[in-house]
Amino acid sequence: MDIKEKVDSLLMKVSKPTRYTGGELNSVLKNPKEVKVRFAFAFPDVYEVGMSHLGMRILYHLLNKREDVYCERVFAPWVDMEALMRQNKIPLFTLETKTPLSEFDFVGFTLQYELSYTNVINMLNLANIPILSREREGLPFVIAGGPCAYNPAPLSEVIDFFVMGEGEEVIHEIIDAYIEWKERGGEREEFLEAVSQIQGVYVPKYYIEEYDKDGKIKEIRPIKKGIPERVKKRIVKDFENVYHPEEQIVPFMDIVHDRIMLEIFRGCTRGCRFCQAGMIYRPLREKSKEKILELADKLVKSTGYEEISLASLSTFDYSQIEDLIKELISRYQEKGIGVSIPSSRVDAVSINLLKEIQKVRKTGLTLAPEAGTQRLRDVINKGITEEDILEATASAFEAGWNNIKLYFMIGLPTETMEDVEGIVDLAYKIVDNYKRVKGNIKNLRVTVSTSTFVPKPFTPFQWVAQDSVKRIIEKQNFLKERLKSKVLKYNWHNPYMSFLEATISRGDRRVGKAIIKAWEKGCKFDGWDDYFDHEKWEKAFKETGVNPHFYANREWEIDEVLPWDVVDVGVTKKFLEREYKKALEGRITHDCRYYCTGCGVKDYDEGVICFEAPKK
Amino acid sequence: MKRLRSKYTKGEEVKFISHLDLLRVIQRALRRADIKVAFSQGFNPHPRISFGPALMVGATTEGDYMDVDVEEDISPHEFKERMNEVLPSGIKIVEVFEVDVRDSLSSRIKGADYLVEVFLKKEVEGLEEAVKRFMAKDTIEIEKETKKGKKLVDLKSYLEEFYLIDMNGERAKFYVKMKLGEGSPNPFHLLKAFNEYIGDAFDLEYYKIHRKNMFLE
Repeated sequence: MDIKEKVDSLLMKVSKPTRYTGGELNSVLKNPKEVKVRFAFAFPDVYEVGMSHLGMRILYHLLNKREDVYCERVFAPWVDMEALMRQNKIPLFTLETKTPLSEFDFVGFTLQYELSYTNVINMLNLANIPILSREREGLPFVIAGGPCAYNPAPLSEVIDFFVMGEGEEVIHEIIDAYIEWKERGGEREEFLEAVSQIQGVYVPKYYIEEYDKDGKIKEIRPIKKGIPERVKKRIVKDFENVYHPEEQIVPFMDIVHDRIMLEIFRGCTRGCRFCQAGMIYRPLREKSKEKILELADKLVKSTGYEEISLASLSTFDYSQIEDLIKELISRYQEKGIGVSIPSSRVDAVSINLLKEIQKVRKTGLTLAPEAGTQRLRDVINKGITEEDILEATASAFEAGWNNIKLYFMIGLPTETMEDVEGIVDLAYKIVDNYKRVKGNIKNLRVTVSTSTFVPKPFTPFQWVAQDSVKRIIEKQNFLKERLKSKVLKYNWHNPYMSFLEATISRGDRRVGKAIIKAWEKGCKFDGWDDYFDHEKWEKAFKETGVNPHFYANREWEIDEVLPWDVVDVGVTKKFLEREYKKALEGRITHDCRYYCTGCGVKDYDEGVICFEAPKK
Repeated sequence: MKRLRSKYTKGEEVKFISHLDLLRVIQRALRRADIKVAFSQGFNPHPRISFGPALMVGATTEGDYMDVDVEEDISPHEFKERMNEVLPSGIKIVEVFEVDVRDSLSSRIKGADYLVEVFLKKEVEGLEEAVKRFMAKDTIEIEKETKKGKKLVDLKSYLEEFYLIDMNGERAKFYVKMKLGEGSPNPFHLLKAFNEYIGDAFDLEYYKIHRKNMFLE
């Protein structure tokens, strides 16, 4: 058997073989010999999750537009495939040309979720690339970006350098520096020195993290001359004209988000105090309606997809959302192409728009009140009232919806059992609402889901202690008992997973040792309930002398040095602190779409402009 | 509305995509080609596309058929050209003709022939003779998995031709012709049964099945 037959013989034994075959419509084939840089874009989860990610799709096509670069894709093989690959000594390879990762110039990971970090390590190991940066002489540069990269500390021994901010803005500079370095025949070190001068690049080995006796961080500082003290994230300034792919890979298999993803704006102005995305993707930048329609047309033609998703952090906030949706429906209804909105803030107005959307393609309805009482919703600055929610659900029921999903968080700062009970009350009020509209509750299904609050870097709640696992379980049990009925269903999140997420999310370099240890013990796919193994993690923490509670369950001092202080994300620490104080006083901060609330991003860099809606 | 019957190939690049995946590929290709497909009536309308018997995942073909009902006046030739422009590599329409809208593909398909390649675990003497002896049996009973559990099926009643084409070191290539219909066995069932008959000489971890033709009535 030749190599291809060998791989095929494995594919005949695994579930979902098209995770590994490539060859999808709009995937890019080039001759690797004709390019100067080979870039493996690595997503540390399975194909169907990774392919649903917009950022990967943008960077893939952006890089491949360059004649001198070939960007290929690689995902974490599912456990069945991994076992066969290890058994048959087949190194991790890319989908496009089946080339082992070790032959690439770059392996670039996107870090979307803390619980995928063991997969990053596992993928490197499967590719025969040493998991430690310092042992990688003569091998690819392993780089990382994405929202979790804003706290680079936990993976600082693994990743050669991090890229902070929006990839479109900085990736070409890195590639150009690489070509220059490669042609010159420089030492590995010289390239790291060169990129450390590019705004947005953080080279961990040029910094040191020092600790006080009490275990807190004393200082993080550069240990090399000419290295910036803080790394400033990169921001796309001309969002209207920034590259957006006009084609999109159309997978053969069913993926999580199997539709056109069209990014209509970036950033969010709501200012929810728990939300990391709402802070780190600032400033708000919209694309014009004309631009979006033009892109929609091209994407429909190049993919043949039956659905267009208008992607953003809060799609109904788009300044011309009504016109946009109506225009899209009138253009594509005939062809059976629908529009979809990622879960977004829903009010009575948006219900009317969803009604229009429903005519083409049925959609579910998801509302995210996040907290059960008005007091707590004010603490987290979720600018939504009970009235809004009841009004929205009433119009939804009138419009024919019978299934409704409600998302809440438990363990939010200042939460009491009264707030938890508020979740139950709200759920039952919605049931009553349905009864009022429809006369009975025969067809109604209400699904209540709670996730657990995780304090995240660069949010007003970055200092807050996470509830203990014990406390979370009590709250979940409380809800389990009360949300029992024919029409109500309750889903909850594994509390140990949320605890680990908090530990890594606020982790410093010491936590990195525990992550490596956990991987050595066999941890991977930690974000998957079936594979998450809390006991292995507990042992890994113990053996590396890392106390996870120090990171997850401790209220941090406002003036404490944070592991991510080395990064400047645009939003100032002053603003975050102010927001935290207001939260504790139960005071809200209004949506900054109309009036600036002074987060600092506006004055961050030359050319940074916040989209401002016409004053109401 | 008219019904266009297409003969298509599915090559090495796409041999792992499932039947359901293929249906989506065709639907999306039709949309890219801007061909108006007819939809079924009813509460949940779906595009009127139908396929012949599903090909096993991992197999290739150069002679499968599908019917597409179109809602516009498009010639078979134009249909073929427009589709081939937008289909992913590995899938290609080789022939299109119009049939009556009442003509159902599944009742037309009677059989198919295949090229089958297997790898040998050990040397086999007189393989050609063994095939002949196997074919001379009156019945060849096999167990076949169905949705309702295991069922005994007489493979022989489906098997029309089976002979060795070529043996080259570790590889053996066969020609197989079988009847096709609801619940009919496939060439892999034959490989398994024959392998048992000759005392487990094949390495059935891997094999190649290529459908050459589907026979329409």
